[in-house]
Amino acid sequence: MGEHKTIMGKDLYWMNFFGLMLLTLIEVAAVGLDLSPEATGLSYTEKELTLFILVGIGLPKFIMIAAIFMHLWGDEDSKILTLTALFPAFFIIVMILFIGLTHPESTTGLPEWCRPGFYS
Amino acid sequence: MSGEHDDHHPSAWGPHHWDHGAPHNSWSPLIMSVGFGIFLFMLANAFNNDVVDASYIPIVMFGLLVVLFGLIIWWRQDMSFDGTYEPMATGVPFKNIQIRKVGMWVFLMSEMMVFTSLFSTYIRYRTGLENCQTVFERGDWVEQGYTLETGEALVCFEPASHLIASSWWHIAPGAINTFALIVSSFTIVQALRYASKPVGEIDEVRRKKLVTRYLASTWLLAVIFLTLKMIEWFIGFYVPEISFLGIHEHDIKSLVAEGYTIHADHYHHHDWVDEATGATMLADITVGSSTFYVTTGTHGVHVFGGIVGLTYMTYKAWTGGYTPKNAVSIEYFGLYWHFVDLVWVIVFPFFYLY
Amino acid sequence: MNKEKIASRTLVIFVVLLLGMVAVPSATSLPTGVAGVKDSGCNCHGAVVSDSVLPILDGLPDTYNYSEVYTLTLGFTGGPADPSNINQGGFNLWVSDGEISVNDVSVQSWNPNEVSHTDAGNDQTMWTVDWTAPANDRNVEFILHVNSVNGNAGSPEGGTSGDEWNRISIQVASPTEILQQANPYTVLTTLIVVSFVLLLMVLTFIFYQNNPDSFDWENFAPWVAGWLTTTDHKRVGTLYFLAGFFFLGIGGVMAILIRIQLMEPGNDFLTQDQYNQFFTLHGTTMIFLAAMPLINGAANWMVPLQIGAPDLAFPRLNAMSFWLQPVGAILIFTGVFSGTGADTGWTGYAPYIVSETAHSGTTMWVAGQILLVASSTLTGINFLTTIAVMRAEGMGWMQMPLFTWSILIANLMLFLSIPAFGVGLIQVYLDRVIGTAFYDAGSGGDPLLWSHLFWYFGHPEVYVVIVPAFGIISEVIATSARRSVFGYRSMVYAMAGIGIVSFIVYGHHMFTSGMDPTLRFVTMLTTMLVAVPTGIKIFNWLMTMNGGSLVYRTHTLWALGFLVTFTLGGISGMFFPSMAMDLHFHESYFVVAHFHYVLVGGTVFGLFCGVYYWFPKMSGKMLDERLGVLHFLTAFITYNGVFWPMHRLGVWGMARRHHTYFISVDEVRGVDGEVITEAVIGALPPEAAGWNMFITVSAVLFFFSNFLLIINVVISLVRGKDAPADPWGGWSFEWMTESPPPTPSFGKFEHGEWHGLPTLEDANEHIAHEPSKLAEWFSRLMVADKEEVEN
Repeated sequence: MGEHKTIMGKDLYWMNFFGLMLLTLIEVAAVGLDLSPEATGLSYTEKELTLFILVGIGLPKFIMIAAIFMHLWGDEDSKILTLTALFPAFFIIVMILFIGLTHPESTTGLPEWCRPGFYS
Repeated sequence: MSGEHDDHHPSAWGPHHWDHGAPHNSWSPLIMSVGFGIFLFMLANAFNNDVVDASYIPIVMFGLLVVLFGLIIWWRQDMSFDGTYEPMATGVPFKNIQIRKVGMWVFLMSEMMVFTSLFSTYIRYRTGLENCQTVFERGDWVEQGYTLETGEALVCFEPASHLIASSWWHIAPGAINTFALIVSSFTIVQALRYASKPVGEIDEVRRKKLVTRYLASTWLLAVIFLTLKMIEWFIGFYVPEISFLGIHEHDIKSLVAEGYTIHADHYHHHDWVDEATGATMLADITVGSSTFYVTTGTHGVHVFGGIVGLTYMTYKAWTGGYTPKNAVSIEYFGLYWHFVDLVWVIVFPFFYLY
Repeated sequence: MNKEKIASRTLVIFVVLLLGMVAVPSATSLPTGVAGVKDSGCNCHGAVVSDSVLPILDGLPDTYNYSEVYTLTLGFTGGPADPSNINQGGFNLWVSDGEISVNDVSVQSWNPNEVSHTDAGNDQTMWTVDWTAPANDRNVEFILHVNSVNGNAGSPEGGTSGDEWNRISIQVASPTEILQQANPYTVLTTLIVVSFVLLLMVLTFIFYQNNPDSFDWENFAPWVAGWLTTTDHKRVGTLYFLAGFFFLGIGGVMAILIRIQLMEPGNDFLTQDQYNQFFTLHGTTMIFLAAMPLINGAANWMVPLQIGAPDLAFPRLNAMSFWLQPVGAILIFTGVFSGTGADTGWTGYAPYIVSETAHSGTTMWVAGQILLVASSTLTGINFLTTIAVMRAEGMGWMQMPLFTWSILIANLMLFLSIPAFGVGLIQVYLDRVIGTAFYDAGSGGDPLLWSHLFWYFGHPEVYVVIVPAFGIISEVIATSARRSVFGYRSMVYAMAGIGIVSFIVYGHHMFTSGMDPTLRFVTMLTTMLVAVPTGIKIFNWLMTMNGGSLVYRTHTLWALGFLVTFTLGGISGMFFPSMAMDLHFHESYFVVAHFHYVLVGGTVFGLFCGVYYWFPKMSGKMLDERLGVLHFLTAFITYNGVFWPMHRLGVWGMARRHHTYFISVDEVRGVDGEVITEAVIGALPPEAAGWNMFITVSAVLFFFSNFLLIINVVISLVRGKDAPADPWGGWSFEWMTESPPPTPSFGKFEHGEWHGLPTLEDANEHIAHEPSKLAEWFSRLMVADKEEVEN
């Protein structure tokens, strides 16, 4: 159950909870505040910078929930259950690559050499 | 079977004697299946290609009632579950892990694929179609004639975040929802913690009270989540005048009231006005809005499923049904609930913020 | 009232509800609801029917001449119509055959079969139209509706009050007398009802045979209720078999109707529209309602027995996944009998599936499929968990029987791929129901997305139905050859390899669709890769027989037949990965031949093999070997007669999914004087007609040969010999229990835990001892404890 574990002397669930709240606040702030000066400094558009921040914060939030609230860290059965949870990773990657990232306009977006009527 | 009620053939209507293993017979699967069939069938009759035939709505509701009836039989059989029958795995590598826990994780594998499919759809359309704001800023829509005056709309992808992230007030329901889910994730682990405290470490009356209280607050937070979602989608809200904070009295329109609907084939955002000509850009954004509503809606349906489960669990906790012996049941539900939270962690930035 | 009475009455209520669900769609899915114009009249004007209105239809002959044009005069007398009114009346004329054409502005054409008056024609009581008689023999029916108008359109009571209408129907015979043609819907409906009634009668008879003394309602009701509420894996397995064989028959009837249509060129037994629905439902029924339940039946029965588990991990979920199937089946068949069933093909390609031209039954097809997806997901949870956690003490991964391995891998594929299909279906359902725009091409929706989601599921799905057959064949060949299977480890890795590769090959279904060219190339290579593990399996089976001495039982014959037909199907499959070949063969009968060779010659033969092999275990009765051999011989020969000629038809260019084909006997000579018979575009050489007739005759024989199995089963259940625990000399756990096995299958649950569960040492199961680096790595990955690996 993980209740014997503590972080900095505080209860694990509480600390995890506070951490998640904090990260979410940063997320909302990153969207609400005007980041364009920083974005220009880093030679990105503001939207891109926001996306990087959101992904950057999303990952630790994801791991915090999975590891601590879902007991994928520190219990005796954590290892095998983590493997179970990671099992679909390959299939998820295949789906994102094959379905998510193949352009819907590929019929018209084909390179010229691949279209009908192309003879070199 | 007529009349005789020996221990090995308890009633198929529940309650069940769990000290003889899993239920031997149950009406629940048959009844629930028929209920789902009636529901899907009548829903398609009630809404057919946007034409609403309200006379079918009662039968849609009847289908749901049949499902509920089946669910109640299922729960009746489960109410007496006190942890005597908690099958443990015998095969490596899961040896000595509760079978139901493994089952829940396997179920979550399928859920991951469900949301991956929805995200693949989203990524495909988001990358494949041009963003409406980009089209607007490029400005060539004026001479192409996609304006309010001509009534012709151009196809582009309009993320809901364009409206939502436009002001703090619009983000508010989504942001509060995020916090509500995180808090509910916390309350469910607290319920598990108190239910699983060894006997003697905690007063039984206090255990019952705490477990009930934490489960009920999880239920409440889930209801708040859906309520705020309805406000954000359909209802909107009113901001009163609070002068010392510099807040002015105004209405925050819902997404639907802003015109962001699945039928929005002639949509215009209030900012889409060309400065030079005063023309307003018209866009067909139905693909973008469909993706938004269905993905967040699927998540909402999962929250609703959680509410249904929590209703039963809160009731069972209220009758004092959770002891350290069967506290793991709360953990199994908790796994699902945390997963729903996890999905929101991804849905929220990509659909509400970016 | 006691509980049993409540139970049986509730049952009756649900049966009535189910029947209602079947009836309502048939009524509402008619084009204009129950009150279609053709049948009941001018509901467009909402007026009353009256005998005082006399319809007139002049100019019709008693028998028509082919293709002759007749000028018809139609109209009415009587009723409230008055020449002084602005409007006097209207009409609607429908004809079953031939074409009606319009020759003035007072009449408008809805379609070649239906004409009506225009606004300009409102002020008259007589109209004229031209009817072109059909060019072939038909009994033609005319239905004329006339409406006599009292001209109060502008009055406050509304335009239609006081109007009166009437109808007449006139028959025109064909030049030569013809027999009444069978209506395919009637044929289908009759056959389904007859099979269902036969099924119920056989079940009742078996109940009677169990105990003739207790043949009364008091005993029958709880017996039926016991089956309806059961969660026992063996009983659910039997239910799966019943449903599977029932739908195998229904799918077979559809196949026969399709073959009757294709019997000769230009046949018109089925219209295009009917043909579309029949092949859609044939595919859907065979894959989702026949093959999958039969596999689930075998898996339900055998997996817990083979791994020494008392039951599946979640018995109630198991019952749930069964009961979702018949409900889904009812939804899928909605609308078929009224001619508005799904007509999208089993792939349901977008954007047609979301268009309004697709039949209204398509929505229900989608809804039914959603239920089947839910069912498969629950099945997946159950079997994956059961096989992972409930193996007997000492049975590591590499000691599992190959059938259990095949079910594990099939369920992994199904489980991880079916959410994509489910999400796609929900998107289509919402598109059709509430009007979202996922596949609305006009709004930027991408039809290819559906193909991607469908085939991401669909390709693993076709392996899901073949891999369990691999498992059955491995068991049967090993037992019949009286030795352990050759290369156990490579068998397992081959199946796992097929499972993983299946997710990255699906693009080969979409080579002609214009998807990303990079993806085309990738999937072309991976598809070719599939042949490697499949080849390994074939050679392992051959080597198993090579080292053993074969005992020829019925199941052995089926296994050998499987090897032949599946290998042939595999070889024809190797034509498709190559893009250049695929573009040529796409949508031709070559494809039909290929997938029937692997699905019938592979899956169905494998399942028949499994039925003959495990029937003694399931029922405790031996099957008749003579009938079994007869079944094998007739089915194997006629099966090849059906599907082998299709390869040639495909190469000739006969198109799949087309309701008819044409042949050309014109001799056209090329530049060098050689004869080119296919010169008429789209026409096949004249031999094609003969081959199609041959295929149809074989198909009918194949259909009826399978009744030998049903007869065999029924005879055996009624008066078969009792089966011993291990009739064939198998080694795995299932042969250790009695025939039929007790409930729970192993052990006893007492004082909160299971007692007396078997351990691997109890069985003579061949244990794969060969150590290998790969195996050790996998074992470590699975964190097995040392003693388990060494066991």
